[in-house]
Amino acid sequence: MKIGDCMKRNVVSIPETATIGEAAAIFTARHVGLLPVVDDAGQLVGVLQLRDLLALVMPDFVRLVEDIDFVHDFGALETRQPSPEVMARPAREVMQPPLFVEEDCGLLRAFALLRQRDLHDLPVVASNGQLVGIASRVDIGAALLAGWRTPPPGGAP
Amino acid sequence: MIPGLLSSLIFAGSLYLIFSEKLNRTIAGIAGSAAMVGAGLALGFYSEEAAIAAIDFNTLGLLLGMMILVALLEPTGFFQYLAVWAGRWSRGHPVRLLVLLGTVTTVLSMFLDNVTTVVLIAPVTILISEILGMSATPLLMAEALLADTGGVATLIGDPPNVLIASAAGFSFNDFLTHALPVVAAAWLTALLLLRYLFRQELAVRPPDVEAVLRLNPSEALNDQATARRVLIVLGAAILLFFFHDRLHLSPAFIALGAAAGALVWVRPAIHETFQRVEWSVLIFFSALFVMVGGLEAAGVLRALVGLIARANAMPPVLLGVAMIWIVAALSAVVDNVPITIALIPVIEGLGAAGVATGPLWWALAFGAGFGGNGTIIGSTANIVVASLSERTRTPITSALWNKRGLPVMLATCAVASILYVLTFPFLSR
Repeated sequence: MKIGDCMKRNVVSIPETATIGEAAAIFTARHVGLLPVVDDAGQLVGVLQLRDLLALVMPDFVRLVEDIDFVHDFGALETRQPSPEVMARPAREVMQPPLFVEEDCGLLRAFALLRQRDLHDLPVVASNGQLVGIASRVDIGAALLAGWRTPPPGGAP
Repeated sequence: MIPGLLSSLIFAGSLYLIFSEKLNRTIAGIAGSAAMVGAGLALGFYSEEAAIAAIDFNTLGLLLGMMILVALLEPTGFFQYLAVWAGRWSRGHPVRLLVLLGTVTTVLSMFLDNVTTVVLIAPVTILISEILGMSATPLLMAEALLADTGGVATLIGDPPNVLIASAAGFSFNDFLTHALPVVAAAWLTALLLLRYLFRQELAVRPPDVEAVLRLNPSEALNDQATARRVLIVLGAAILLFFFHDRLHLSPAFIALGAAAGALVWVRPAIHETFQRVEWSVLIFFSALFVMVGGLEAAGVLRALVGLIARANAMPPVLLGVAMIWIVAALSAVVDNVPITIALIPVIEGLGAAGVATGPLWWALAFGAGFGGNGTIIGSTANIVVASLSERTRTPITSALWNKRGLPVMLATCAVASILYVLTFPFLSR
């Protein structure tokens, strides 16, 4: 099985011109973890992850202090929101360069790529660079598991 | 003539590379000392044996021993524990928080390396102020300024003190009787001045005090058993420091002995522990010793001493006050360790020329210690808090430091000068 066989073809993406506020609204409405960013021609130019947006309100100390177990309450930080200026900035500014594969990519390779870069979703492009689908770790992992031979009942070791 | 010229050129070139930050200071030090020994061998004014003899192993041993103890204490979470404890006890009151965190960093930096103390306390400070919803800047600057000021009080608080004690033969108790009172006055002045300079930032009522009260210090202490062992050994070492003079033990022996004892008791993964020891600092010190030894061997320092002694028409008290301010001004813009290492043979030379050097050593200690407060690059602790703050939403800028740190330097040096004049007869002893 190739990634083209298990990916979702109905991809929610955003245009390059979208603002951070618009991207946040789409994340909320569509409940996805990653939005591919495409240009006018439908070419993939970057990916915006849910966590890139959350980083905007993440306290600085989370990066600076090794161990935060003893902080039982983030206090005023729990209700922190990006300023209207930040919300109006283009999402392009916080997006990451895309990691993508083509439709004929093997499942184990796809899973290994996601694991290595600590990502959860993998955009799939056609040979002309057009975004054609997206596969999550769960899509890829479940498709891999489906290929396993089930042991007979009673189970040999 | 040529040895003097060449060795001065090598030393000045290395200092230029160090101070302009064109080259890492340890790399510049190694290159400079290799050039110095090379020149000495070629012209016959300096030898490898003399270079080794120029290294003050008492200083290196004391620093290494204390570094190993800190390296053992660091991963236990003890420093975070103290900072979180200060945060809770402040009950979210900004001024109380500033006083408590400032005191904790000061007390730690009187016995341990200022930089390590600040590196470990500052991130937790940022955490507490973010939870409280107040700016971390006053707290971070107070920690660096008060740690640097407080460190001057003890023999082991500050690298220049270690160097001065080793050269002048001062004991741990000499520092407690001669430096501590002056430092205590300067420290209080600094604290009050900071309270005044940051009055606006400290006037805010933090929105969420409850959250700080829910911080749990004991959870920050990851490895209580190790922390207890290292603290017992550290306590024993500090106790021995009080009596080292009478017991005829060198501070280096006590520190290295304590490090050995703690290592045997804790038995850490030695590779990890030694990664936390700042070997580059030790090598930088050795390189400076070798370079200044070359200057001495070439007769440069003798010529310098001659010049100062001839100009030494001024009364000894004024000479000391001038020393405080000149060394402080230099320390504000460049590292105070090379300054101290270079001035030690000069003071020794003045002593040989008949000048009473006792008070001059203390002037050097005060100037080198308090001068670093003046600018954002004046001390490593300043650089550390500034670079940590760059990763937050309110970075500490050089301009801000000039507005809030420079007054602290001027005030502490002024207090030191006044007390220096008043206690001059006592300092001469």
